[in-house]
Amino acid sequence: MSLATKTVAESAAVPADDPRRSWGAVLALARFEARDLLRYIPVLVTLVLYVGYTAGTLFHQKDGVEAFPALQNADRATQTGPLLLGIALFVCVNRCTLRSRRRGTDRQFDVLVMEPWRRTVAHVLSVVPFAAVTALVVLGEFARQALRPGAVGHGSLLELTVGPLYVLLCGAFGVLLARLVPSTFAVPVGVVGLFVLSVFVSAGTSGAEWTRWLSPIVGETSTNTVLPSDLIGRPAAWHALYLTGLFLLLALGAVLASGGRTLWLKAGAAGALALTLAGAVGQSGGVSPELAAARERVSVSPQRDQTCVRRGGSTYCAFPEWTGVTGDWAGVVDRVQSLAGGTAARQPLLVRQRIEARYGLDGDAAIEPLTTAHQVTVGTRWGGNRVPEFAVAVGYVLVTGDESKGSELCDGRVVTAMWLALGGAAHPMADLANVRLDDSVTGSASVLAPTSGLSMTAGQTDVVRELLHRPRAEVTASVKQHWAELTASGVSTARVARVLGTEAPKGAKDCAEE
Amino acid sequence: MTATVSASGLHLRYGGTRALDDVSLRLTPGVTGLLGPNGAGKTTLLRVLATAVPADRGSFTVLGHDPGSSRGRQEVRRSLGYLPQSPGFHPDFSAFEFVDYVAILKELTDRTARHREVRRVLEEVDLGDVRGQRIKRLSGGMRQRVALAAALVGDPGFLVLDEPTVGLDPEQRMRFRELIAQAGEGRTVFLSTHQTEDVAMLCHRVLVMARGRILFEGTPAELTARAAGRVWTSTERAPGAKAGWRTGTGSFRNVGDPPAGADLLEPTLEDGYLLTLDDVDAEVATA
Repeated sequence: MSLATKTVAESAAVPADDPRRSWGAVLALARFEARDLLRYIPVLVTLVLYVGYTAGTLFHQKDGVEAFPALQNADRATQTGPLLLGIALFVCVNRCTLRSRRRGTDRQFDVLVMEPWRRTVAHVLSVVPFAAVTALVVLGEFARQALRPGAVGHGSLLELTVGPLYVLLCGAFGVLLARLVPSTFAVPVGVVGLFVLSVFVSAGTSGAEWTRWLSPIVGETSTNTVLPSDLIGRPAAWHALYLTGLFLLLALGAVLASGGRTLWLKAGAAGALALTLAGAVGQSGGVSPELAAARERVSVSPQRDQTCVRRGGSTYCAFPEWTGVTGDWAGVVDRVQSLAGGTAARQPLLVRQRIEARYGLDGDAAIEPLTTAHQVTVGTRWGGNRVPEFAVAVGYVLVTGDESKGSELCDGRVVTAMWLALGGAAHPMADLANVRLDDSVTGSASVLAPTSGLSMTAGQTDVVRELLHRPRAEVTASVKQHWAELTASGVSTARVARVLGTEAPKGAKDCAEE
Repeated sequence: MTATVSASGLHLRYGGTRALDDVSLRLTPGVTGLLGPNGAGKTTLLRVLATAVPADRGSFTVLGHDPGSSRGRQEVRRSLGYLPQSPGFHPDFSAFEFVDYVAILKELTDRTARHREVRRVLEEVDLGDVRGQRIKRLSGGMRQRVALAAALVGDPGFLVLDEPTVGLDPEQRMRFRELIAQAGEGRTVFLSTHQTEDVAMLCHRVLVMARGRILFEGTPAELTARAAGRVWTSTERAPGAKAGWRTGTGSFRNVGDPPAGADLLEPTLEDGYLLTLDDVDAEVATA
């Protein structure tokens, strides 16, 4: 075909005689660049890993603590997933932006209709599909958690925006760096520079709380603390505003650096700076006096914020977001109590949910035991090891009558309490290992409970292990029959063993025998 | 014929060098050649006309658009296809992707129509069969044709080609000439070259440039005619010849001012070009 012969259809490809700038072309270029980014191994690998790993965890049947997610923590858990993807995009978007310069096509492209600054806009927009994928993954991840039958609490949509915003931020930073320092060496230098800057800022401000929030993803010291969602106290809205402003500032900065000089660009950059500053100031406010007071209140007097329900003979008091879990607590109490004898078998208990919220999410402080008779503490985490740990607390409250006496328990009653806690469990030996600090089933060990736990000697461990291997009904009958003797203060482990028909332990004595 | 591109009084200095010195020209549809020695200002002139660099003084229009304003410059660029000297490539792109990328930068937004156009220009430059191959796997000649396809995409009315046949083997050069000749049908092509054969075979007009100035503007025949009566043959190198060399027949071909009774030869375009350059050198020496 001759170059001079053109069909009518072909002429449709010729741009219209409209002098206005075509943003459709910018979007087309952004799509092209986004497709090209997928050819970069770091982007492809991190994207596949991120999506694949998250999908794997979504469809994997969770058990233990993970079957009972607290949504106010699950939202934050979505933020670290795209960490590597963001870094890969930062590096590869930078390379894409520098492509024309590296390959010497600047001379050809600089006389084309789309000016360099609009090409920069396209490079920034090329990250948007990755941010959209991140948003979908984040939503899927959170929705799956929210749909788990054991889910409690409320998530924050603003916390969910951090992952996608982080991805956008990384891309915009890569583009800006390419426009300011047109060399591929700028990336490692930029990363080191950011690290050094963060160290200096942190050192110069003595690690002030506000500097922590300058980072896109702000984690917490403790991952175990679960607070009611209204006591979380993270400035999620301000942080989202800060990240949005920072993204716009970097993106518009890159556009301005590549020759964009329109009024709306300058006004946009000024607006983005204002947003960033407003976000930075807003998120640095720290804990408000009202929040501190609310945290103090739920830590010291949780009953003021709780709803109580009666199940069987006992009462269960929970913070509003956990009222749905009281049935699970009651199941454990009933199971433990069914193995007890004497009045303990019918003793009404008050199970109270308690937290130490005064240190916020950074605190992982232990909760002091209750000193009122027949009251048991349960925490804000449930499932997994938390179940036998709660059973241990119920067991020793039934044996001693008081949660605060659990830590003093050292005589043969430890055996009775542990039998009550584990005797009715589906997998008692596994639970025995799980509630012990060192996951052992022999020797001495500390036993975990929601407040203060117990200490088991090697002899007590031997007796409990033997009891757990014997028929449950037989041991239950013996326990019920000799309840008064087994729960008497000062009863020795050897005596308990003899009463329950097991071999008395040899070697170290318990406190009752010393 | 109506001029599609016209320039008047273009001046451009790089430091102390006059890259363009009062350049005026008129281009009409068809292929116009630009001849000149290294450093003559050919590339600078092409870059100015391609809106890559602004002139210090002077003005020009392309297809009726004045690039002096932002809007005018955009309109010129919409009408422009530019193939620079030693064009760059994105080696990891396929030929199709590279031309598609350029088409996007030319704001061909309709994806279906754009892809059709990209396929068309790749067919035009005879690369339809290898359009999916990465550019890094293509030969030098094929790459040059990819660059030409990129310049042609969108059917620009004004095509600027800066020494497009440099580095090509004779067969590739012939193929390229064919493509340029086709490209010149119905559009204005401005072709910078060192090869007088390119001009002789392709161009309906020719400009000769040296020291930033246009020395000659006319048809190739007119440039050739400048050497009429100034090329002769002799058995020895003639002392008065501006240039002389022994030919394959053993006789000398001389260009310059022939002695009386010299055995004159039919001049070529190259003879006319050499003498045009020599005349300006003589003027400079006299001045």
